Parts: sequence; C-alpha cells; structure tokens
Amino acid sequence: MTQKTGRRLADGTAISDLVDLEMREVKLRTLSDREIYDIEQEKIFGKIWLLLGHESEIPNKGDFMQRHMGEDSVIVSRDRKGEVHVMLNVCPHRGMKITTHESGNTNVHTCIYHGWAFKSDGDFLGSPVADQCMHGKMRGKEELGLTKARVTLYGGLVWATWNINGPSLEEFLGDTKWYYDMLYCRSKKGLEVAGPPQRFIIRANWKTAGEQSAADGYHTLTLHRWLGEMGNYSSDEGTQGSELAKEMLGAEVSSPHGHALRCIDLARKIVKLTGKDPSELSVEEKLRALPPPGMTSEMVDDLFETMTPEQLEVMAWMPPQVGGMFPNIIFEFLYLPQPDGTVVGSLALHTYVPKGPDKLEFTNWIFVERDTPPELKEQMIQQSVQLLGTSGMVESDDSDTWPHMTLSAKGAQGRNSTLKYQAIYETGKPEGWPGPGIVNEGFTKDDTQWHWWKYWYELMTAED
Amino acid sequence: MSETTFSVYQGLGEPVAIGAEVYNQILQHYYTEALLLDNMKLQEWGSMLAEDLVYTVPMRHTLDLASQSKTVIRTVMHMDDNYRSIMGRIMRLCGRSAWAENPPSRIRRFVSNVQVFNTDKSDEFSVINYAMVSRNRFDDDFFDLIPCERHDKLRKVDNGFKLFEREVIIDQALLGTPNLQIFL
Repeated sequence: MTQKTGRRLADGTAISDLVDLEMREVKLRTLSDREIYDIEQEKIFGKIWLLLGHESEIPNKGDFMQRHMGEDSVIVSRDRKGEVHVMLNVCPHRGMKITTHESGNTNVHTCIYHGWAFKSDGDFLGSPVADQCMHGKMRGKEELGLTKARVTLYGGLVWATWNINGPSLEEFLGDTKWYYDMLYCRSKKGLEVAGPPQRFIIRANWKTAGEQSAADGYHTLTLHRWLGEMGNYSSDEGTQGSELAKEMLGAEVSSPHGHALRCIDLARKIVKLTGKDPSELSVEEKLRALPPPGMTSEMVDDLFETMTPEQLEVMAWMPPQVGGMFPNIIFEFLYLPQPDGTVVGSLALHTYVPKGPDKLEFTNWIFVERDTPPELKEQMIQQSVQLLGTSGMVESDDSDTWPHMTLSAKGAQGRNSTLKYQAIYETGKPEGWPGPGIVNEGFTKDDTQWHWWKYWYELMTAED
Repeated sequence: MSETTFSVYQGLGEPVAIGAEVYNQILQHYYTEALLLDNMKLQEWGSMLAEDLVYTVPMRHTLDLASQSKTVIRTVMHMDDNYRSIMGRIMRLCGRSAWAENPPSRIRRFVSNVQVFNTDKSDEFSVINYAMVSRNRFDDDFFDLIPCERHDKLRKVDNGFKLFEREVIIDQALLGTPNLQIFL
C-alpha cells in the first residue's frame, strides 16, 4: 500500500510532509499557513462532528441560537415538534444571513432582505408576493430550504456535521464514549448550562488550543504554576508546586480519533477528606465522601442507576477530569480544593472556533447539574468564571501563549521548526483498569496529543 | 419635566450637581484610580476597595430592538468577583507567574461622563461613568479597545472613597481582547 500524501501546497510540500510519523514531530508552519487552514476547513470542519452547544440553551419550541461550524454561521433551532435542527444561516436566495440575533424564539425565520421565509426546521415556507412566484419555477420548494446539517444529541450536547452519510457520533467517539458517559450521562436529569457561553477572540491558530486540549497535562506545571505558588494547589509544607506535580499522576486515555482524557487519581483528596486509605473504602464510600464535581453525596444515588460497576470503579478511583474531543473541544470536570478543606466542582466545556489561520473564537459554556442545589450552583458558576474562560486566572495564561506560537510559525526559520511529542508512555493500563481505549498510567506524557495529530494527519491526507 | 425623570435614571437618587464639592471629590477619586491602575499599582488600588465589594462584567448579546432590555447577560458573566477574589487576582498579578499580564499590557483608562447620585445613605453614592480602556501588548500595532459604561457605588470614608459595587457594561458581544486579566 502506498502512503497517502494528500494535496500539495503551493511550494510543493505534501501535506504528509508536515508530520514526521517516526520522529513524532509536526512542522510549525501548520500553526499559521493559510493553505493548510483552507484544507482543514474542508477536510476537518466540513467532515466531522462539531459541538455547537447544549439543548438546555434552547428549551422551548421555536427557540434558536446562532452558532458556528468552522466559519459558517448556523442556526440551532428547536422546531414545533421539539426536535433540534442545525441549518446554514445563509438565505438560499441572495446569501443574506437569515438571523443576525444571538438567540431568540420564532416559528418562522424571515430573511430581512427580500422576505423569504423558513420554518423552524429550515424548510422553505414561501416568498413575498405569492402571485408573482418570486422564488421562480425552476426549483421546487423542497429545494429552497436552508441547507441542513445532520444532528445528534448526546448527553444533551448538540452535535452537527455536514457529512450526512458519514460515521455516527458514537462511531466518532469510539472507545472514549465509555468515559464521556461518566461526565455527560451520569445523572438522571442531566446537565444544564448555567447561561449562554462566554465568547472572545484570541489571535491564534485554532490548533494551538486544539492540540493542547488533547490532554496536555505537562504545561500546567509551568504555564499555570501560580496555582502551586499561591493558588488552589499551593502546599502547606512550603514546597511550592509539589501539590500541582502530584496532580500530573493518573492515567491518560486516547483514541485513534484524537479524543483524549486525563484521569487523575483521587486518592490524596479522599485521604484528606476521610482520613482513611482509599483501599479500605468501598466504591460507594469513596463516591459519597468525594462525589463527582457538581454532585452532592445524595445525588450519588443516580450513579448506581446510570453507570456500570466498571464505570463506578473508575469514577471513584481516577475519573476523567480534563481532556478534549477532536478537533477543537476541551472539557473540564474539576474537583477544586477550597481554603476550608472542602472541594467544589467546576464543569466547563470550550470550543475553539476557527476564524482564519491566525484567529480563534473561544466559546466557554459553564455547566451545572439540573439537580445541583442552588447555593452550590452559584458557588460553582462563580468559581468557574474566576478560574476559566474570559477572566479565568488559569486559562488566561493560555490565551496569551497561543498567539506567540502562531507568530513563531510565520518566520522563514520558525515555520520549519517542529512541535515535538517525544515523551512516550512505557507503562500501559493501570493494574485492574476496567475501561477501554488506549490507556497509560503514570505522569502525564505526550501520547494523547500525538494521537490528536495522527488523526489530523489521517483526515488531511484522506482521499477527496 | 426635570431631566432626571428620563428612564435612564430610573432607580437612581437625586443627582449631585456637576462641580459640587462631593462631585469633584469623586471625580478626583476616578482620576486617581485610573492613574494607579494604568501604572500597575494594583495593591494601592486594592486599598480603594471595600470589603463588601461586588465586581462584575456581564456579557452582551445582539438582539432585536424590542429585546434591548435583555442584552445584558448576568447568568454567566465575563467577570464575577468579590473582594476576596479581587485581592486574590491582585496577589496573582503581583506574583512571578501570571503570564497573561507578565510582561504587562500598556493600558490607558479614560474616564468621562461622570454622573453622581445620592442614595438613601448619606455616605454612599451611585455613579454612572464611561471608561474607554485601551490595551496594547508586545509589538501589537493595534490597540484592544474596551469602551464601557460603569455603574458604581462608592462609600465615603475618612480619607476618600471606597468602591463597593461595580458593574461594567461592555459594548462587544464577541469580546475582542484575549482575556480580562486587567481591571476595568
């Protein structure tokens, strides 16, 4: 079998030359090149499942919100029957945006230019001046609706793809779904958004954020080291940062589709809370003592109905706490230590929407469980806003790093330098690990991010 | 009809005349505040904050004319702080590793349109003012501009005023600056 090379860039470089599979290196020019960006829009953002939000953002019939799939504006709408649709926010008549609003409620979307009207499921309704038939007779009404994407809801999350006959979301998530179920399908009533997402611009290529999301635990120690110096992980013993270094231990899960999860050992937190060695405690005792973030001890009841015993074991031992879904998603299910010794959860999900080779839109949803008591909800939301997203004391340091990487990729020398993923696991699954996927134990390594690039490579070199 | 009956003044007390003694003191307070912040004297700025401070930056949404009252989003906000968290931010920013502002941005805060109102308490004042915040980082040949309307509450203390409430209404739905590790 001959190796796929993908397209050639204008200077003769093949896409396949950008990734050195043997050396686990990626050419830095991938982080700024316009041509590469354009191919990504077609072969990645035009092909795979993209995350657009959560159904709790549009609870009522007729509710809609404007979102983006790549640079395409789309309308995410709940129709009169309650079903969720995603359609291109472009009037098939002359290309005007159908809605310019962030969100709203309507059963009829009317273009303000010539008045063509569409139902909340995107079907064409009609054009003004009916007796003149201004939409013409050359195309039937069924051809004049808004372009519809294929939609799947998973754990309330709204996903869409332009690849109408491609793999299902379940196939796309593959083995990692077993872990995502612990996050998005753990409670009976489910999660809800705390409000609309924060949105802001970072002048960086979307992949600077995308590849980091594939479980780059390592950067935490340096880029976010204030957490160990004076933040939530500062140590009482005066050994600065040591608590943060311990957070690097656990297991990392990755997948051939570039999804990744960091499963961090809860043992130290459980010892602190209970004074007992976790091995002396049952799965239930551990979950009651330190419930999953956003849940209370009482809410743990749900887990015994929604999760398998194997999933419960992982949730009480090394639950997924941060990670990504290919290509541009990061999730955070954080157990954050408080000054008074308790733990408060933060649940967030971001997408890094490409806005050209040198710009991304950071979209940050904050979640709570529908059942979370109001007081705890408030605490979680405030903590999340203070640490993550726009003013997040943790994530703001990332937002200042990615633009520099993007600039580095522009220099005649810099563009030919490489991103390196050569810290390789030599461990395998933790003993007795009941979960599927590519799993390795120990200090965080580069494998998950490397798998992210391998899937990027696979999609970018795929036959048209 | 007095101008203070216009709907934009709803909920506010009697206006303090422009040029009145208290007005001038408050204007001086804002100039001092801007000068301290623009010169990265964050701890000194912190001494101008009251311990019951509520400091928020809501999000903005683009909605149609009829829905303008709903364009300020306070469920999830861009900043949602209190005295303790602001002091934590100051400590972080003055530490060794707050990379989002190290090296720091060059920032200029232009405060204008200051309008002061009395409240039920003789030592507390409501203030509406505009701030034009410009931010420049590294070699950027452009400025991030963050114009905003600030709804403040100030309490008179022995040697000046302390801020105990600030809501910053920004003008972008999609914020154009990469983070808010700066104070508005």
